[in-house]
Amino acid sequence: MAELEIRNLHVRTEEHEILRGVDLTVRSGELHALLGPNGSGKSTLANTIMGHPSYEVTEGQILYDGEELNELEPHERAKLGLFLAFQYPVAVPGVSVANFLRMAINALREEPIKVKQFGAELDHAVRLLDVDRAFTARHLNDGFSGGEKKRAEILQMAMLRPQIAVLDETDSGLDVDALRTVAEGVAKLHREQGIGALIITHYQRILDYIRPQFVHVMIDGRVVLDGGPELVERIERDGYDPIREEVGARA
Amino acid sequence: MPSGTPAPPKRGAPREATLNQALDGRGTPRMPLSQSRELAREAYERLALPSWRRSGFWTTSLERFELDSLTNRQQEPDDARPAILADAPAAGVLVQRDSSVVYTELSSELAAQGVILCSLEEAAQDHSELFERYYLRRLLLDRHKLEAASAAFWSGGAFLYVPPELRVAEPFQIVYEISEGQTAQYAHTLAIGDRGSEMRLREYGIAGETDGPALHAGQFELYLEDNARCRLAQLTDWGVGEVHDVSTSVVEVARDAYCHWLPSLLGGALIRHHDEIVVAGPGGDMAFRGLLFSERDEHFDVFAVDLHETGPSGGDVHWRGAATGRSRASFEGLIKINQGAQRSHTYLQFHSMLLSRDAELDAIPSVLVGADDVSASHGGTVGELDELLIFYMQSRGLPRPQAVRVIVEGFFEPLIGQLEDPHLERLVRERIGGKLHAAAEDIERYALAR
Repeated sequence: MAELEIRNLHVRTEEHEILRGVDLTVRSGELHALLGPNGSGKSTLANTIMGHPSYEVTEGQILYDGEELNELEPHERAKLGLFLAFQYPVAVPGVSVANFLRMAINALREEPIKVKQFGAELDHAVRLLDVDRAFTARHLNDGFSGGEKKRAEILQMAMLRPQIAVLDETDSGLDVDALRTVAEGVAKLHREQGIGALIITHYQRILDYIRPQFVHVMIDGRVVLDGGPELVERIERDGYDPIREEVGARA
Repeated sequence: MPSGTPAPPKRGAPREATLNQALDGRGTPRMPLSQSRELAREAYERLALPSWRRSGFWTTSLERFELDSLTNRQQEPDDARPAILADAPAAGVLVQRDSSVVYTELSSELAAQGVILCSLEEAAQDHSELFERYYLRRLLLDRHKLEAASAAFWSGGAFLYVPPELRVAEPFQIVYEISEGQTAQYAHTLAIGDRGSEMRLREYGIAGETDGPALHAGQFELYLEDNARCRLAQLTDWGVGEVHDVSTSVVEVARDAYCHWLPSLLGGALIRHHDEIVVAGPGGDMAFRGLLFSERDEHFDVFAVDLHETGPSGGDVHWRGAATGRSRASFEGLIKINQGAQRSHTYLQFHSMLLSRDAELDAIPSVLVGADDVSASHGGTVGELDELLIFYMQSRGLPRPQAVRVIVEGFFEPLIGQLEDPHLERLVRERIGGKLHAAAEDIERYALAR
């Protein structure tokens, strides 16, 4: 049972303060959705959780099972059990999907994975994500379509077996089929591996396929509202403006 | 900053930026070996040590090189392959240590089929007809003092002949090794793939732990007759000593012949290579790949020429370079399409990756076209380590140095994969890994300073 706890997190880049006191807790086995309009700080939160060097934590804490992550390198966070599915996955020229996966798995474990076991796990993950085995021989994200990139992200998630995953707008830029595959993949990993996930989304479309237990709304660098699935329907119906007004009135 | 858009072919523009000159079809007239040696010796005595300058910002100079302090070093025969070959598959092996050929190996089966692999000295005696027909056919002996020295004083040397229509699957391995400092190694390889033959050829330049300056002045010539095919790879890695390497390699591709040529420059205090590939017969085609990776105070200077004497012909030049430390590397690529070489199509690209603030990496492409029904263009990219890519890999669990290594290996991988030789691929990857490991702090400082 892992727990990611974010306490009063303030984050800035060179130019701006973006997060202004975020509180959020995600445990393994839990599905959370984080909604919010463009520019509210959702991606900043995702990247900061993973330790992106461009974001500076000026106040507050990120804790993983009670251990503070603030000073840890991204690979050390991955070793603890965190995973970030990128909004814009980066091409890794010259390295095949399969080779990259084996490298990453071996970086996360003490003993290198056996070739046979790796092959079996890869077969399983490939079926789950509805991709061709030949896909894993291609250079990672190099010349991939938007849908292929997102599938490759979830494929990595399936293979690396994190305890808590942050999915940064994994649904953006996907057609309906790709969206369904990716979402079902995530749901299945949740069922099979019991991962916890923080699903960050702008469009809510992915939530047609994954039912989160917890829903949070982020506006202007703060989580302003916590609730259940009913929040998704409310936002779909009314948009963010009523919430913004409510919060403004409270502040 | 990618600039991959091919530039339109230029017609006969003057090339002011460089003093490099292509061999451009020149060679040495047929004459007895003793006579060419004598001509070369006269040139050697007449000429000063060379220096190559390009208007202001690049100089490769051996003017202060203490040539007189070096000696030719004879070595005893060896009964085993050098460690670098270990149990690499080989159709044949020839090893020259310093000034002597110390080891040769050729299966009796291939010998019975007419393959010749022996020292060039032996070939001049025992296979004089072949030797005289090809020796220096496309090489000169008096452009500069070290070329003259090589042509005058070479000893040992390598000779390879693959007879018509014979296909040899395993590679021929030729090794030039410098065992200690103060050595002058004058090397000469002459290889011939006769009509319709097929072979793979490897040439290694390596050094033991050398103390003090040493010289490798090499000449390499490969002739592929009609319909012949060859995959040629050269690995130059003189290690951390003061080995200076000034060499010229030329490959001639005749009618419907094909060559895939891939030099890897991975170590040497100063390397000056002039590599020229000549498509000499209609239907001739080639892929000319190369990688270079300089470190510390190394100085690499490559002049690569893609010459089309006749059409239709094809060419594809693709080099990649990286630099760490305070090293300097320069790649000048020239496409030249002669008058009348209609329907020639070729492309030149150089991609660079700078890994240190104090390193320099230049690429100078040029195109000279003398025919109108051709396509010839160039492109390239200049890159540095991508922090976002490093973050991406780190987020998957790779520590930063490993992420950097993966990026640089990935940068070279499109070429390394084309070696199609697991033994050589492993050597190149290990060497690249070693260089990155040695320069890790430097790379990190540079990355964080940006």
